Amino acid sequence: MTSLFDYDKAKVLLNKYGIKSIESRYVNNAEDAIRFSKGDDIVLKVLSQKAIHKSKSGLVKLGLKEDQEIRKSYNELSRKASKLKPYKIIAQKMVKNGIEIIIGGSVDVQFGKMVLLGLGGIYVETFRDFAVRLCPINKQDALSMISQLRSKKIIAPDKKSEDMIANLLLKASKMFYNSDFSELDLNPIMLHDGTYDAVDIRLLK
Amino acid sequence: MNDQMTKYANLEKIMEPKSVAVIGASEKPGKVGNAIMQNYVDVGFQGKLYPVNNNGIDKIMGFKVYKSILDVKSEIDLAVISVPAEIVPKVMEECGKAKAKGIVIVSGGFSEVGNTGIQEKVVSISKKYNIPVIGPNCLGVMDPRARNDTLFLPTFKIDRPKIGGVSFVSQSGSVGSSILDLISSEGFGLARFISYGNAAVVDEVDLLNYLSKDKYTNVIVYYIEGVKRGREFVELAKTATKLKPVVILKGGVTPSGVNAAHSHTASLAGSAQAYEAVFRQFGFVEAETLEDLLYFAKIFDTQPFATGNRIAIITNGGGHGVLATDALYKNGLVLPELSKSTQKELRKSMPPIVNIRLPLDIGGDAGEQRFVAALEALSKDPNVDAIMSITLFQTPGADEKVASSIVEFGSRKEKPLVVVSTGSTYTRSHTNLIESSGVPVYDSPDQAARALAALIKYSRYRKGMIT
Repeated sequence: MTSLFDYDKAKVLLNKYGIKSIESRYVNNAEDAIRFSKGDDIVLKVLSQKAIHKSKSGLVKLGLKEDQEIRKSYNELSRKASKLKPYKIIAQKMVKNGIEIIIGGSVDVQFGKMVLLGLGGIYVETFRDFAVRLCPINKQDALSMISQLRSKKIIAPDKKSEDMIANLLLKASKMFYNSDFSELDLNPIMLHDGTYDAVDIRLLK
Repeated sequence: MNDQMTKYANLEKIMEPKSVAVIGASEKPGKVGNAIMQNYVDVGFQGKLYPVNNNGIDKIMGFKVYKSILDVKSEIDLAVISVPAEIVPKVMEECGKAKAKGIVIVSGGFSEVGNTGIQEKVVSISKKYNIPVIGPNCLGVMDPRARNDTLFLPTFKIDRPKIGGVSFVSQSGSVGSSILDLISSEGFGLARFISYGNAAVVDEVDLLNYLSKDKYTNVIVYYIEGVKRGREFVELAKTATKLKPVVILKGGVTPSGVNAAHSHTASLAGSAQAYEAVFRQFGFVEAETLEDLLYFAKIFDTQPFATGNRIAIITNGGGHGVLATDALYKNGLVLPELSKSTQKELRKSMPPIVNIRLPLDIGGDAGEQRFVAALEALSKDPNVDAIMSITLFQTPGADEKVASSIVEFGSRKEKPLVVVSTGSTYTRSHTNLIESSGVPVYDSPDQAARALAALIKYSRYRKGMIT
C-alpha cells in the first residue's frame, strides 16, 4: 500500500541533500497559524494519506494575510479535513511571483528509478512539458533535460538559472536514487529572485 | 557478463555455419521445412547441409536424409528446428548430444500462446548443453555474406538484400521480413539479419553485444517490442552506442498514466516515457516509423559525422528548394549564410540567372558542370556542415554525367552528402547508381531532412555534446 512520507521528515531529508524548501510549520489551531504568519502572506494546506490532489479538492488556501482571513480559512480547512482523518494542517510562507517547475521521481518496472523535470504547477498534466531520464544522472543529462523542454526559455533564460536547475536536479535525483521511495513530487518548486524554494513535497513509499 | 561472452562467441556459428542440419526438413512444397531447404539451395549455401526427418524419405532435393541429428556423425554448426513445439525439447536434447554449436527454433507454439512450460524446457536444455538458441517463434537468421538463410520465406516471394554493412534485428518476424524485402530494393546492403521471436535464450542484450563488436556491421537497426533485461540493456548500451549507431524502433507504445500513480510524476512518466528516456540518454537513434529505419540506416551506413546543423541545399528545381528549406527548419536544421569567398567563387562559375544564396537554385537546365562547381564550392565553405543535393532527373540537364559526378564527389566523404530525387523509372536508374556507390538518396526533402537531423544528433552524442 502506498503511503505518504511525513512532510517535516521529507523536509529534513531534502535539506540533507542540499535542497531548500519553503519555511513551513505544522499548526494546531488558527492562532498558531497567525503567529507563524507574523504579517507575511501564508498558505494553509491539509496533508492526509486520503487526499492526493490537494488543490483540486479545495484543501489549499493561498495568499492569507489578515488574522481574520487566516482564522476563517483554518476553520474551513479543518471542517473539510474531518473526513480525511488522520490529517495535519501545515502553514507555509508564500512566494508570490515565480516560475513553477516540477522535479519528480518514479520507478519503471523495466528500467528502474527515473527522474523527471518539467514545467510545474497545477497545469503540469495539461501542458505535459517534461523530460525523463534514468537514475543516476550526470550534469550532461541534467542539461540535456533542460534543453529538451519547450519551456526552456521560461524556466532557464540564462546560464546561471540553467546551472541552478541542473544542480538542483542532480541533488534531487541523487536523493531519490539513494532512497527506498517509489514516487517523488517536488511540485511546485518556485523559481524566484535568482533562487528557488520547494513549495510542495510529496514522497511516497 | 561471462555467460554473455560465451554466447557472443557462439553466435558466429549461427551466423556463419559451415554445416547446417534442418530438423523437420520436408519434401512437400508449402511446408516450412521444405521452404528452408529450398532457400539453402537457392542462396547457394556452400557448407554441408543435412536434412533431418524420420518419415522414411531417403533424399530431399538430392541431399541424404537422416532420421536423427545423432546419425549425422559429423560436426554440426547450426541446427534449424522446424518441428511442432511439443517435440522440440526431445529434438533439442539430440542436438545437445550431437554437439551442435547453435540452434534456431523457427516453430511457434511456445510462450506466445501461453505455453510457458515448453519454453522453460527450451531454456533449461540450452543451459544444460551450453548452446545458444535463437527463437522460438521467429524467422531465424540471414547472412548474405555467409549465404546462410533460415527464413522460411520462398525466394520468389521476398527479395534478398545484397551484402553490406547494415545489421537488422527484429523481434517480430513480419516486420523483419517486410523490411528485408524493402532493403533489397535500396542501394545499401545487409550484414546480418536476426529475427529472435520469443527471446527464450538469446535476447536483445546478447544481440546488441554481438553486433556492436561485429566487424561487418556499421549500423545496427533494431525493431523491438520490449526489453527483457532493462538494466543490462542500458549498461551495455553505454558502450555499444559509442561504437556504432544503433537505430531503434519501439513497437507498442503503451499510454502513460499508470493506474496506481499517486503523484504527478508517476502519472506522466509511463513505460513509453521510460523507453524514450533510455533511447535519448544512452545514444540510441530513435525511429518513429518503419520508413525511418530505412532512411536512417542508409545515412549512417555511409556518411561521415557532422555536429553542426547548417545545411546547404543545391537544387535544380525551385519548388523543391522551398520544400527542402521548410523540411530543414521543421527538423531543427538551418540554412546558413554562404561565406564571402564561396559567394565569389559561385558568382564566377554560375550563369547570371543563378542567385548566389541558399537554397542554391542552379536552374532547370543545370548539367554536370554546374553541379560539380556548386558541390566543390559548398564543401569548402566553413559555414556549411552538410549538403543536400536536390537532383531532379526530369530536367533537361540532369543525366548520367550528373549522377556520376555526385558519386565521385560523395566518395570523398568530406561532409555528409544526401541526394533528393523524386521520380520513377528514368530517375531510379540513376538513383540506384548513386546510392549503391554510397550516397544515400531520398524521395522527398522531408525524408532527407529527418535523416540528416538524426545523423547530426548522433554525431553530437558521439562527440560528448549535449543533444
